[in-house]
Amino acid sequence: MGLIGKSLKRVDASSKADGSLKYTDDLEFNGRHGLVVRSQIAYGKITSIKYEDKFDFSDFTIVDYRDIDGENVNPILMDDQPFLAQNIVRFIGEPILLLAHKSKKALNEAQQNIYIEYEEFEAILTLEDSQDVKNVIFGDDNVYKTINTQKGEEPNYSELNVLEKTYYTPHQEQLYLEPQSMIARYSNEKVKIIGSMQCPFYVESALESLTGQKIEIEQAPTGGAFGGKEDYPSLMAAYVYLLSKKSKQDVKIVYDRVEDIAFTTKRHPTKMKFKSHFDSYGKLHSLNIDISIDGGAYSTLTPVVQARTILHIAGFYDCEFIKVTSNSYATNTPPNGAFRGFGAPQAIFAIERHMDDIARRLDVSPSKIREINLPTADSTSVTNAKIDEYKRVKNIFNLAREKSDFDKKRLDKRQNRGIGMALFMHGGGFTGIGETFLDSEVWLDLHKSGEVEIKISSVEMGQGALTVLPQIVADTLNLPLSMIIYKNPNTFNVANSGPTVASRTVMIVGELLIQTAKKILNALDKYENIQEYKEVVSKYLNANSSKRFTSKYKKPSYIKWDEDKFYGNGYDGYSLACYIAEVEVDPITYQVKVTDFYAYQDVGKVINPTLAQGQVEGGVAQGIGFALYERVVMESGKIKNSHLTDYVIPMASDLPKIEVGFIQSDEKAKGLGELPMNAPAAAIANALANAIDVEFDTIPITPEIVEQRCR
Amino acid sequence: MQIRCNINHKEYNLEVEATSRVLDVIRELGITSPKEGCGEGECGACSIFFNGKLVNSCLLLAGQIQNAKILTLEGLYEETKIVRENFETTGAIQCGFCTSGFVLRSYDYVKESGVKDEQSVKDALDGNLCRCTGYQKIVDAVIKSMA
Repeated sequence: MGLIGKSLKRVDASSKADGSLKYTDDLEFNGRHGLVVRSQIAYGKITSIKYEDKFDFSDFTIVDYRDIDGENVNPILMDDQPFLAQNIVRFIGEPILLLAHKSKKALNEAQQNIYIEYEEFEAILTLEDSQDVKNVIFGDDNVYKTINTQKGEEPNYSELNVLEKTYYTPHQEQLYLEPQSMIARYSNEKVKIIGSMQCPFYVESALESLTGQKIEIEQAPTGGAFGGKEDYPSLMAAYVYLLSKKSKQDVKIVYDRVEDIAFTTKRHPTKMKFKSHFDSYGKLHSLNIDISIDGGAYSTLTPVVQARTILHIAGFYDCEFIKVTSNSYATNTPPNGAFRGFGAPQAIFAIERHMDDIARRLDVSPSKIREINLPTADSTSVTNAKIDEYKRVKNIFNLAREKSDFDKKRLDKRQNRGIGMALFMHGGGFTGIGETFLDSEVWLDLHKSGEVEIKISSVEMGQGALTVLPQIVADTLNLPLSMIIYKNPNTFNVANSGPTVASRTVMIVGELLIQTAKKILNALDKYENIQEYKEVVSKYLNANSSKRFTSKYKKPSYIKWDEDKFYGNGYDGYSLACYIAEVEVDPITYQVKVTDFYAYQDVGKVINPTLAQGQVEGGVAQGIGFALYERVVMESGKIKNSHLTDYVIPMASDLPKIEVGFIQSDEKAKGLGELPMNAPAAAIANALANAIDVEFDTIPITPEIVEQRCR
Repeated sequence: MQIRCNINHKEYNLEVEATSRVLDVIRELGITSPKEGCGEGECGACSIFFNGKLVNSCLLLAGQIQNAKILTLEGLYEETKIVRENFETTGAIQCGFCTSGFVLRSYDYVKESGVKDEQSVKDALDGNLCRCTGYQKIVDAVIKSMA
């Protein structure tokens, strides 16, 4: 005991600080480089592929869909995306051919000598055109999924005020610093995959679809992911696998930044139409919300992003009637996918902007409007579940309001300066019955040395899993951290503890590790110190043939979910937070500067305070980027700004001092990774309404937009 | 072309194409602390010292390092000790991909007796991008490294 709550140094800190840690592209490599030949058009049929007669292709490995032995489908949810286009292409950049060669330069020359001809179809390039069914590109109405839900009794509207507004959040690029990278190692007619990824078993199942076999997958040190390496690495792995299998050599693909920004997944653009009814004090009585999501050319994870958007769209406010309709749509743009928050940052932007908009209509303060609508023991959520977190919501709200001196600062407002808040939550783990489907398992192997090895598929990607999970196990077993082994997972050696996503690693996998470590404690004789521990381990291993302790996930009995009605507790546990932003608008350049930021949250038990603060600071920074700087410019289905010079993320001097605080309401840990991404955009837009009396319902709020609106 | 240069205190005679990037030349020697984050001088992950000046090696061509003295983080292990230790203990490291660039940038700032105030440190770090930390703990590590 005693390691939980301690800011232990990251176990990978020194190898990262001295640059010795080997990421995928740093590994020894003596094979062929791979290149993806992509569609030049947004939608159409491939009519011919011609290879220049004068160019010598004999030295190149060339792969197309016919080289796939198994299914040409990347299995995610709707199984609509091929690994390689067969006939139809659905977005600019869709992979058609793969090339490999010893020399990268030769690859580029070869690409110039391949001519692909198309019969172009009328593409759908915007969410609006997809909604209007300007042309059918998916199913019979372009809709990937419809989810509707309604709870409570409609109020008597006659005495109530009404407010209708539409909020919009755009694409956002994950921009992990290490681009997508993957290697296939070839030996004895077998291929092994090593690369940058969040979910080794997702890659395994993709390659099982591709090949009909189980392929060995190993995660390499991963230089940031943020959801961008949830589903996409399955495609990377398929490409290097196919090239390696055909060339009988090692093959590596490392995207450059331009390729990575232009063609990999982004945050889903989302339009949220609100119609609310509230009394003259600001008490909410009904919310009527319609959500439209741009899924891009293939559905990837869109249906679950959509579910999470709905589950966060009404916040945790008390409201007797809530009706939500939602649709996700196909467009001929690069597929959108997972990005930290996974639908929740969109939802929280809308509901938290709307709460301020109601406050502005009634001329009450943003803190008052939230106070009036705080949940009680009787309140139910958008999915008709009791809001069990009502006390925690109130506590975090009061703490943030007080610590930031919100009410006083609002009264003392100065010209071009303002303060805004957002009160919000994030559900940890998979949505609805998702965790039951995942069926996660963890293993702890007890070695003769007394060392305990964590064998799970959860990965380190910067968030600190490699440190925090051993910290949990060491704490339970009352051992020093050095007695716990935890290596980058290899699918041939570890239990499937599920993907490293959805703020589930500490909350779900960490809890399973505690359960499993307790099984070790129960199996061993009592020990008082490390010497005795080693003795009881020897005794146990001499008497027992199995050194492996395991646990499997079981849905807590108090969690209920009805997928048909879309009713119930959306998640196994929620984190709560209240963030406050102070902003200043430059009256000459119209630049918005966040001058102060307060981030208070209740994430249950904090395992490692320094690492937890780091998650919050980094998430807030990405949220500030989402609010003010990051803008994907799409023109005719093509991303125009696929460089770091024109897709701008926050630099050090763009960011304010971020004050981070935690309330530890629970002995158990809740999700943390995504939470901080949810609120900065709303808090900043709300602060701007306070500063310059302009309501920004669309982000990013760039100087050009501010100037336009102030004219 | 033939290039003679000194990398991390070792003399090299290299046969390279004049237009290849120094980042690639160095990495092909197995010196992998400089990383490619953007390939256009925006992110600073490929930072190296070129004749004592910190530069982005993705923007430097092989022809430019004739007779030059190059230092990467590998060649500055002792010199960067204090900065590295402070990065490790303040929580300035997450995914680590930008870290070698930041360590060199911070070391350069501390060495050149930069001002010990938060805004000056932030301004000094603006040539390097980090997507994980929000920079706050990197700034703390730099300030802690200044006597």
